[in-house]
Amino acid sequence: MERLLRFIRTRWAWALVLPPLLFFLAFFVGPLLYLFFVSLHDVSQAEMYGTRFTVENYVRIVGDPFYLFIIRRTLTAGLAVSGLSLLIGYPVALSMVRMSPSRRSLLLMALLFPLMVSNVIRAYGWIAILGRRGVINNVLGDVGLLQAPLPLMYSLETVVVGLLTILLPYMIICLVNALLTVDRNLEEAAQALGAGPGRTFLHVTLPLSTPGIASGLLLVFLLTLSAYVTVQLLGGAQSKMLVSLVYDSVMTFVWPRAAALAFVLLAISLAVTTMMLKGIRPQRVQGKG
Amino acid sequence: MSTGGPAADVVLRRVTKSFGSVVAVNDLTLDIPRGMFLSLLGPSGCGKTTTLRLIAGFEQPSEGDVFIRGQRVNFVPAYRRDFSMVFQNFALFPHMTVAKNVAFGLRMRRVPHAERETRVREALALVHLTGFEQRYPKQLSGGQQQRVALARAIVVRPAVLLLDEPLGSLDKKLREEMQVELRQLQRAIGITTVFVTHDQEEALTLSDRVAIMNGGQIEQMGTPRELYERPATDFVANFLGVSNIFEGRVIGRQDGEARVAIGPIQVSVDWEPGLEAGGPVRVAVRPEKIRLGAPDEPGGLPARLRHVVYLGATTHFYLEGPEGRSLVVHVQNVSPDTALWTLGDNVSCHLEPRSVFVLRKG
Repeated sequence: MERLLRFIRTRWAWALVLPPLLFFLAFFVGPLLYLFFVSLHDVSQAEMYGTRFTVENYVRIVGDPFYLFIIRRTLTAGLAVSGLSLLIGYPVALSMVRMSPSRRSLLLMALLFPLMVSNVIRAYGWIAILGRRGVINNVLGDVGLLQAPLPLMYSLETVVVGLLTILLPYMIICLVNALLTVDRNLEEAAQALGAGPGRTFLHVTLPLSTPGIASGLLLVFLLTLSAYVTVQLLGGAQSKMLVSLVYDSVMTFVWPRAAALAFVLLAISLAVTTMMLKGIRPQRVQGKG
Repeated sequence: MSTGGPAADVVLRRVTKSFGSVVAVNDLTLDIPRGMFLSLLGPSGCGKTTTLRLIAGFEQPSEGDVFIRGQRVNFVPAYRRDFSMVFQNFALFPHMTVAKNVAFGLRMRRVPHAERETRVREALALVHLTGFEQRYPKQLSGGQQQRVALARAIVVRPAVLLLDEPLGSLDKKLREEMQVELRQLQRAIGITTVFVTHDQEEALTLSDRVAIMNGGQIEQMGTPRELYERPATDFVANFLGVSNIFEGRVIGRQDGEARVAIGPIQVSVDWEPGLEAGGPVRVAVRPEKIRLGAPDEPGGLPARLRHVVYLGATTHFYLEGPEGRSLVVHVQNVSPDTALWTLGDNVSCHLEPRSVFVLRKG
C-alpha cells in the first residue's frame, strides 16, 4: 500500500515536471545545439549555412582586433554597470532593511515602478536630455556657457548610465532580500564582542549578504551583456556591443558568424559568472568554507 | 578606573525604560556584587530582557543610571562596554569556524595573534570542545553550539557575563546537563553573571540570588531558599511554585511572632511591620507543608477531597476547604500505604509549624 502510494506520488511528480522539461528541451536545448552546429559551418550565399565543417568563424572572431575590441567594450560595460549598481545600491538596500516593513514595501513598489516604462521610451527620454538639442545642451547654450553643443550621446558612458538606471532596481531588490535574512542578533553579538558599527559591517553584515551581492552582480552583468535597445539608441553606431554584432550579422544573413558570436557571448557569461562566484563565495553563509 | 561610583560590578540606579507609552522597566534599582550569579526571573513582558539589554547598552535608559565596575555607562555604546553576552539563539557567526567565532572578541580587542590562539584553545578546552576548531556552527549540535557561544563570551574575560535564556532552545536532558556545566564554569572563573529566564526551576538551580520581576519592577530579590520559603507577595508565592493562600486575623503578638487565626485553627508567623492585633492578614503555605490527617484529628482545617493526581514519588490532592476555598496538598509517598484517601473523603489539613508566611499586598 505504502509502496503504491509512493509510486503514485513519484509518478505525479514526474507528470508535473515533464511538460516544462519537454518544452525546455524542445525550444531551448535543441535550438542551442542546432545553433552550435550552425556556428561550425562556413557561410553560404543561398543557404543558412554552407556544407563545409569549420572552426573558421571562431578563429576569425578571436583573431580580429575589431571583434576583440567589441568584446572588451562589452565586458567593460558589463563590469561597470554591475559594479556601479552594487556601489550605489548597497547603501540604499542597507537603509531599506532598517525601515519598518510598511515603508520598505512602499519603497520597493517605487523601485519597481520605472520597470513599467518601456526601455525604448526611457532611452528616448535620455536622448531628450542628453542629445545635441537636448535639455542640457539647450539650457547651457541659452545661458551662453557653450559655443558648440557637448557630445553627450553615443558613448560607452552614456550606455552605462542608461543601463544603470534600468538595472539598479534589480540589484537593490537582490541586496534587500539578502540583507533581510541576516539575523540582527548577529550584529548585536558582534557589538557585544567589541566590534563598532564599521567592523560589525565589515566582518558580519557584508560577508553574510554575499548571496545577494553575487545574485545582484550576475543578474545585472548578464542583463547588460544581453541589452540591445538601450545600447543601440544611446550608443549609436560608435558604441556597438556584442549583441549589436549578432544582430548585424543576422540582418546581413551571415548566420554561422551570428551563431559563433552568440557562443562567444555565452562563453564570456559563463566565465565571468564562474569567476564572480569564486571571488564572492556566497556559499560561505551556509558555513561551508 | 573607579570614578567614585558604586562598588558592585553592575549597578542600576532608579532606571526607567519606556518604549513610547509602554514602560518596560519601571524605577528599578539593582546591585550585583562581583562574582554573583543573579537570575532575572519573570513571565514574558516583565522587563527582564529589557533590563539585560540596558546593562548591555543595546537600549539606553529613559531615566536613571547604569554603572559597570563603578563607571557610569549611560549612552556608552554596547561595543565600548565591558561585558559579553550569550543570546537565546546563540547568534554564532555562520560564516566563521568555531575557532574564528571564539577569536572574534579577541580580534576586536586587538589581542596579538599568539595570545589569541592560546586563549581560544583554553576557552574551547573549558567547554570541552577541543578538536572542533575548524568546524562550522551548522555542523554542530545544539549543545555544542551553546558551548561555542559560551566560550566566545568568556574568552574576552568581561566584567559581566549576560545570558539571555541561553538554555531555552535545548531539550530537557541537555538543558539540565548544561545547567550544571554553566554553573561550574561560572564558579571556576568567578565571573559576575546576569541570567535571564522564565524557567523558575532553572533560576533556583543556578543562582546565588534571584530577582523576581513583574511589571518592570523587582517584586522580590533573595536567595532561592528565601524566595521559596518566604515569598513576600502573592505574585512571588504563585510564580515560584504553588501556594495556598488564606485570609486570617491577627490575634496577638509574642516573641517576634504573630498568632494568626485561620478559621478554626491558629498558626504562628514571623512578625511583619504593618501587622496589627485584630487586623486582617493574608498568609500562605506551600502544598508540601500541609499534612493530611483523619477528619476527627484536632488542630486541622476540615476539607473534602475533590481530585487526586498520583505522580509516583508524590501525590497531589486537590481539596475543598472551609467556605468553598480550594486547597492543594502534595504528599511524599514514603511508603506504599501513604495517603490512601480517595475522592469524597473528609480529611483535616495540618499546617507544619513555621511554614506559614505573610503576604504583602502585591
